[in-house]
Amino acid sequence: MKVSLNWISDYIDIDDLSVDEIVDKLTTSGLEVEEVIDEAKNFENIIVGFVKEVKKHPNADKLSLCVVTDGKEEFQVICGAPNVAPGQKTAFAKVGAYLPSINLKLKKAKIRGVESFGMLCAEDELGLSDNHEGIMVLDENAPVGAPLSEVLNKNDVILDIAITPNRADALSHIGIARDIGALFGRKLKIPEVNLTESGKNVDEFASVEIENENDCPRYVAKVITGVTIKESPEWLKQRLIAVGLRPINNVVDATNFVLYETGQPLHAFDLDKLAGRKIIVKNVEDGYKFTTLDSKERELKATDLMICDAEKPVAIAGVMGGENSEVSDETKNVIIESAYFNPSAIRKTAKRLGLSTDASYRFERGCNPEITEYAAARVISLIQEIGGGEIAKGTIDVYPGKIQRPVISLRYARLNKILGFKVEPEKVKEIFELLEFKILESGDETVKVEVPLFRHDLEREIDLIEEVVRIYGFDKIPLVEKIQVALEEKVDQTAFNTKVRDYLTALGFYEIVTNSLLNEKTAKYFGNAIPVLNPQSIEMTHARTSLIPGMLGTIERNIRVKERNLKLFEIGHTFEMKTDGEIKSFDDIEETDKLTFAVTGNKEESVWYSKDRQFDFYDIVGAADELFRKLGVEEKLSDTYFLEPDNIFDFRIEKKYKKKIVAAAGKINSALLEKFNINQDVYLFDVNLDVMREIHSDTRKFNELLKFPKVVRDFAFVFDKDIRYETVVNEIQKSGSKLLKKIKLFDIFESDSLGRDKKSMAFQLEYYDENRTLTEEEIDKEFWKTIEHIKSKLKAELRG
Amino acid sequence: MENQINNVVESFEQDLKEVSDLKQLEEIRIKYFSRNGLFAKLFDEFKNLPKEEKPKYGQLLNTVKKNSQQKFEELKEKLSAQAKKFEKFIDLSLPGREHRIGSKHILIQTIEEISGIFKGLGFSVYTGPELESDANNFEALNFPEDHPARDMQDTFFVNENFLLRTHTSPVQIRLMKEKQPPIRAIMPGKVYRNEAISAKSYCLFHQIEGLYVDTDVTFSELKGTLVYFAKMLFGKNVKYRFRSSFFPFTEPSAEVDIWWEPKGKEGRWLEILGCGMVDPNVLENVGIDSEKYTGYAFGMGVERMAMLKYGINDIRVFFDNDYRFLSQF
Repeated sequence: MKVSLNWISDYIDIDDLSVDEIVDKLTTSGLEVEEVIDEAKNFENIIVGFVKEVKKHPNADKLSLCVVTDGKEEFQVICGAPNVAPGQKTAFAKVGAYLPSINLKLKKAKIRGVESFGMLCAEDELGLSDNHEGIMVLDENAPVGAPLSEVLNKNDVILDIAITPNRADALSHIGIARDIGALFGRKLKIPEVNLTESGKNVDEFASVEIENENDCPRYVAKVITGVTIKESPEWLKQRLIAVGLRPINNVVDATNFVLYETGQPLHAFDLDKLAGRKIIVKNVEDGYKFTTLDSKERELKATDLMICDAEKPVAIAGVMGGENSEVSDETKNVIIESAYFNPSAIRKTAKRLGLSTDASYRFERGCNPEITEYAAARVISLIQEIGGGEIAKGTIDVYPGKIQRPVISLRYARLNKILGFKVEPEKVKEIFELLEFKILESGDETVKVEVPLFRHDLEREIDLIEEVVRIYGFDKIPLVEKIQVALEEKVDQTAFNTKVRDYLTALGFYEIVTNSLLNEKTAKYFGNAIPVLNPQSIEMTHARTSLIPGMLGTIERNIRVKERNLKLFEIGHTFEMKTDGEIKSFDDIEETDKLTFAVTGNKEESVWYSKDRQFDFYDIVGAADELFRKLGVEEKLSDTYFLEPDNIFDFRIEKKYKKKIVAAAGKINSALLEKFNINQDVYLFDVNLDVMREIHSDTRKFNELLKFPKVVRDFAFVFDKDIRYETVVNEIQKSGSKLLKKIKLFDIFESDSLGRDKKSMAFQLEYYDENRTLTEEEIDKEFWKTIEHIKSKLKAELRG
Repeated sequence: MENQINNVVESFEQDLKEVSDLKQLEEIRIKYFSRNGLFAKLFDEFKNLPKEEKPKYGQLLNTVKKNSQQKFEELKEKLSAQAKKFEKFIDLSLPGREHRIGSKHILIQTIEEISGIFKGLGFSVYTGPELESDANNFEALNFPEDHPARDMQDTFFVNENFLLRTHTSPVQIRLMKEKQPPIRAIMPGKVYRNEAISAKSYCLFHQIEGLYVDTDVTFSELKGTLVYFAKMLFGKNVKYRFRSSFFPFTEPSAEVDIWWEPKGKEGRWLEILGCGMVDPNVLENVGIDSEKYTGYAFGMGVERMAMLKYGINDIRVFFDNDYRFLSQF
């Protein structure tokens, strides 16, 4: 909210305080000043200039060559305005001035070959209005050379303050002034209202009835007759413009002024447009169509609180008035509404209609039911002052159940326990009084206060504690120098993932973090996706069902910037629906922590020492083997191989734990790559990390270092091409004794001479015994046993 | 004869000048010093000279040949030394074969750095689901329904009762429901806000929250702990301030600003985290006696910390995952 310090100073003495002091104290006490706008700064180097001479520009018909003086010096200025004339006093922006509204910094310039030192300004160029008809002609009494800001009274400082939702009381100038008062120990001055009421009693002009007392606990109304609707006086317009409002007419402006002064939203109805001159606060039936002031038709619900006349609704209570009862230029008689509405009722309606107004914003945060009468009197007297007319005698005030002020006790011991240091009771009471709390009882251990109703946020002891520290100052809280730590077991639920990240980065992978929201098509491609009710865009409608699309999207974006050789991984949650209906409980959601890692492009970029080699399936498998070995999960998983494509892979390995697929790896199929516009192979591993975390174990045990020599034997066999490495290894293992410790594939090849359906695989077998030296004979025996076994079992032919 | 001798010497010296390797030098040797070489030919001519001229030319011829051979040997030595040098040459300046350590995402690195500071103070680390219930994300945290406080966090809803968590505070709720005090833990993780994507905001970001509940937890300890944290992360001379703020789940609440003055730019206060004493309503909601126990909580945005620390000014760069970005960290 924007507040004007000139305006604030109507209610509290701040002349001796610097802007910085005020800004600093307000900010640290919870009213965060986000921006300070110093009006005078926008008028630096802009003065009242006197136009001495006007001649035609020698090279341009529409330009004038003027001589302007500031009383001391004369300046040559080129001007394009049609109204420039000798003898005028006008706004003269000298070289060095900056005009924010047109973002222009004035420099010495040559215009069509003639030098110009500054600029004569129109109102729009100074940000004063939209007027661009000609240069601004000032009053003939304006002193030549005086700063324009002084002549125009532009000496205000505007603060833009972020008001947190609990501080409804601070949504007004009096509210802010009250906090400044408390912070600097000064008293607030509330303007007195002296009404001159005459003529008939207000009851003879109108009546008010509340049907829904729950949503409208209080309704105050006053009537003024014979008003002249016109433009507001300059001072009023300036106040409103300063806080970012647009002046409309004197009556509307007066209600806005009092709203920004007191925080009480007010509404002015044209009394003659109210059927039966009656106001009824009630709900109407579902589906009723109502046109608001902004000429938009809105459909109402039975829960919306409405202001009605004898026949029809005339305003959505606390949100916006209706077109049908609006104050117009012809309006003579006005009834002012100053009511207190239930915050949650107003919020529901405003939210549903997507309509946030100055009024609804304040009502939904909680207005002050105690200020309604004052605000009504204040605005009616202001209207009379600037629009004439006769104020009807008396006030309509329907207030069926008076709202009581809360009474709260504060224990000093509790205050000190929460804060960790002692605030003197005298200081506490002083703060309460400055905040206008009434001290009901004051003892050694507790203080009991009555809190005014403008503070909706104060109900409990803890609320008072916050008030104390807020005004006392957080900067005065001492820092502890040591802390105590309970000697209990510490938990780190991120430790496993950290380990995974450590290993993958050591393997050369780079971590990515992608958006967990996907478009519908992509999300559904990978699983039973959960939609978001209120998405930000059609590209982000569903929670991700897989990390694969994020990975492929990242690869695609990188290829676009010529980064084609990538090793990437991501760890993150995926979401799937486990029901066909509505999600009713956590059992209907499957949220899984996943890991995806992928390689694509060349293993090395063109380098001097080797030929480009493309990443292939065995790169991703090798990385996974090392990762799973390090994590201690390798032996708990079993592999199944698929050479036929599924919706993700051309071919793949699935890793299972107890029949459940917990990881899958393969070559991403071309249909999927095409969807992501990727024209190079991608090999990818997708892993369920939740399962891995569960089954991983630290199985590390030290093995005695070998004291006896190893014996090594090699052989190569020609196999049928479709015999798997895994099968051969299994058979070798089966045939060997416990002396066989290691089997290594060291060569594999296919050739025409072997035959098209054959391949050769060469293995190295390693034998040793931990307790003795093996003899060549016993190994030969065992080795040959293995050879015979493979020969017969796998129909293989020994090559050497 | 004299002319002939001079011609050979001249041509020999000319040829020698043009020699650049041992192979060319060998050709010179053959051309001049072999059995049929030019010097041999001169000696043949010499044999046919009249007797009286022999002493004169004999001496000249010998001297010239000796000098030439000496020049030849010198050059040979020089070239051999050179050749030896090339033989042994290894270009030690070539770039090494590539070995690359990958890297964790800078957001994760930042989380690890921040977690490390708090783990050192005895904090445990807990995680929780991102798809949460309204009850855990709002209700239990003292956000009344139909209260403007809910506008503070634009929410992606799945339905009336489920949503993408807007902060990691529901992990605090889960933890407090499960375990009685003392509780001292941090909760890192992804959170979601329904905001348009721009340089300043993204639909998701990472948060680290902290919670400490015990019998004598005070604001003074909260302040001390967070000042320690700020010094560890931003250096011991960091200038900070605590200012009053509002969060539904803490009271009193504050935000912490640090003074930020990048080189050559005007300094300003920048918010780095929010904090406060756990609201008694929150403790009661999870079945902890709020008279007996007090607690503090704090929370910070990881992206913001990383942007400050590394001078990043567009949040989207974190989620673009451009290799040129990833490989910088």
